[in-house]
Amino acid sequence: MTVPGAIKRLLAADSAAAVMALISVFVIFSLINSRFLSSLNIHGIIVSASISAITGLGMTLIIAMRALDLSVGSIMGFSAIVAAELLAGGVSLWLVIVVGLLAGAALGLCNGLLIILLRLPSFIATLATLSMILGGELLITQGETVTIRNATFSRMVIGNVWDHVPAAAAVAVMVFAAIWIVFHRTPFGRHVAAIGGEIRAAVGAGINVNRVTLGVFTLVGLCAALSGLMAGAELQNADSTIGAGAELTAIAVVVVGGTSLTGGRGNLFGTVCASILLAAIKAGLNVANVSSLYEDLVFGGILIVALMVDGLRRGTRRRGMLVV
Amino acid sequence: MTTERDGQAAQPANASAEIAVRATGMRKVFDGVEVLHGVDLELRAGEVHALLGENGAGKSTIINLLSGRLRPDGGQVALRGTPVAFRNPLAARRAGISVIAQELEVVPTLTIVENIFLGAEPTRHGLIRWAEARRRVVAVLRELGVDAEPDRIVGSMSVADQQLVEIAKAIVGEFRVLIMDEPTSALNLAETERLFRIVRRLRADGVAILYVSHRLWEVFELADRVTVVRDGDRILTSEIATTDVDAVIHAMLGSRSSLIADTGRPRRAASSIARASKPVLEVEALQSGELLRDISLSVHPGEVIGLAGVLGSGRTELAEAIYGLRGIDAGAVRLDGEPVDLREPKEALRRGVFLLPEDRKSEGIFGHLNVRENVILNYDPATREPQRTAVAASGEGSGLRRRSGLAPIRRQAERRAFDAIRAALSIRCSSPSDRITALSGGNQQKALFARAALAHPRMLFLSEPTRGVDVGAKEEIYAAIDAFAERGIAIVVSSSELGELLRLASRIYVLRTGRIVAQVSAGETGEADILKLMAG
Repeated sequence: MTVPGAIKRLLAADSAAAVMALISVFVIFSLINSRFLSSLNIHGIIVSASISAITGLGMTLIIAMRALDLSVGSIMGFSAIVAAELLAGGVSLWLVIVVGLLAGAALGLCNGLLIILLRLPSFIATLATLSMILGGELLITQGETVTIRNATFSRMVIGNVWDHVPAAAAVAVMVFAAIWIVFHRTPFGRHVAAIGGEIRAAVGAGINVNRVTLGVFTLVGLCAALSGLMAGAELQNADSTIGAGAELTAIAVVVVGGTSLTGGRGNLFGTVCASILLAAIKAGLNVANVSSLYEDLVFGGILIVALMVDGLRRGTRRRGMLVV
Repeated sequence: MTTERDGQAAQPANASAEIAVRATGMRKVFDGVEVLHGVDLELRAGEVHALLGENGAGKSTIINLLSGRLRPDGGQVALRGTPVAFRNPLAARRAGISVIAQELEVVPTLTIVENIFLGAEPTRHGLIRWAEARRRVVAVLRELGVDAEPDRIVGSMSVADQQLVEIAKAIVGEFRVLIMDEPTSALNLAETERLFRIVRRLRADGVAILYVSHRLWEVFELADRVTVVRDGDRILTSEIATTDVDAVIHAMLGSRSSLIADTGRPRRAASSIARASKPVLEVEALQSGELLRDISLSVHPGEVIGLAGVLGSGRTELAEAIYGLRGIDAGAVRLDGEPVDLREPKEALRRGVFLLPEDRKSEGIFGHLNVRENVILNYDPATREPQRTAVAASGEGSGLRRRSGLAPIRRQAERRAFDAIRAALSIRCSSPSDRITALSGGNQQKALFARAALAHPRMLFLSEPTRGVDVGAKEEIYAAIDAFAERGIAIVVSSSELGELLRLASRIYVLRTGRIVAQVSAGETGEADILKLMAG
């Protein structure tokens, strides 16, 4: 693909709304309180956006396949807790990271196996595993919070690279690049979209739907584990509240980013924009002295608006195709 | 009259060509019933071989066996002399057998190039080589006359263009055998001509082509040889040059081609009320895109009219246009002389028009309800008349019009009404509280007729009324339709079975490529003549 072509694709109409909302949010909040643009605040926005974007990118593929994964939040908490316990036990940092990621991938694989072996709808299967994984977390921690004392680990998320860029952003950019290539440039990624778009045609084309399903759920498990490790490193402790509600945030950033819940397409760039948008709104409400108790109300409203926009867009598309 | 070995007599220049596919003694059993009784078929490299037969003759089964979608219960398929047994369509595709499926199998959310290479993406180091894929697609699209960029989203294209993408999918790769199942059903004449050019080029390249079509003129224009199947047997294989339309139609219909109607019971002439009274339904100069042009017809009370036509003739589209499911560009639909726009089933019902859908399972019955509940769905004992109120959920299940209100259901009255209609239509079930899905296809259909009867319709629109119904129940359904007509109800029957139309209707409109090409009286015309009109 040519370079202008790639840019055109990034800025495709589906992400335009998220980009515009993002710009207006920055303008509005910086007018309300100039502290919004302080480097500390921006840093915080970018770290939190990076963490939610990584899981959101995995969720984009899930939704493109016309599935849902409700267990991503619990996988985040699980991998953070595993890492915290291992670090407390004196295991070396790199091994801890690898084990934490593998734990998430394994849980994702289990989700996939449940879905293909028991033929369960994905949101039911992952609702069940969500509960089981949370239970496992409580058993491991006995309900306690595990402190993470490892400066290197924390620097890998909240430290800066090239002086000003939060390390978390560098991680998120790498994940974005990797998933973009997987989704748009590999047969696997196109098969994900094909299954979500018209499963009959996918089967007819000889696509192994079970294998793709396993792959996607493993991938999102891996993404969620990475987000969880990063959240733990940022907070410097881990308990089962890490990732609580993160499945809704992940679905929200995907939908706000312009990916339709009806499947067949995924807008990875939009997901990233929407992650920054939601993190900016959260930080903006904070600097505007709005109680954090209102956060969930605002986010729910944004989600409803995004779903409405998606519904309208789909409506026009459907009408255009009614002749079938 | 079977001419098993006709093809051996006169051999054209390419007869010595390599045998690409030789299938011998193909058998297939569904639910204990053998539907294919040991059929032989031979495809030569560089020939177009037409496969003809009526609906249900076994054409689709043969295609599915050759393309790995079904596995045979007997017989053998050899590809260039090597016996093969495909586990799935992909295995057949890898062996060089490409299929253009009758039903569209495209992913609407993906682009043209993504669809064409789906499952067979050219890659290097695991990454798709989009540039190469696009280059190959551009060439194929140009040849097919599709004026679209390879990155166009398929769902935004017209149905005809989507069909051409489906064709592009089949001819883009490497293959030695091409199976085309009704490839022209959504194409116009110019597109069909372009497709024919491609087929001829592929033939010249040595591809063996199995061509299935209802349009006989296509077959005689394109094919080198023809094989006719009927009721799961091969009836005829012949060089096209040594046969003609009459012989082919005779082979397709067998003994029935000499009969005017297939039941022996004389066709009731259109009742005198029908002629005297004003029409219930009038369609005048109806036009809808390219698919329907200048359609005019009328139905009088107590009259049964038939709609005949092959797949893609506009028969289905006409029903949709009357029901407001398809945009109308010009012309009018009138009920009792009043222009109407029946956009929703509830609107149709309010006017006393009842539709029995083609797809009984998904649009007709409520599988989770029992027989009685399915039948009395529209019945309102309070008025004994069809209700005139709007309801929710009217989109699902034809004729659901019970008010979704809170008034208690009057069990006793419902029970009486059900028992009466059950006896009248002889619906066979061990108990009214049997799940409707436990009934045979014929009895399910009779239950839908009972539902229609309780709605006191003025007009019935029947789409494939005896599809999936056994022979005995068929007669009972025909009798029920006659009874409806005798009560003065106007009836339109749309069917792919000519015998059925001849049995039921007094007049038959024959549709071809979106036009009414003829209106025939059932008493004067035979199946063979109508088939010729349908094929053009």
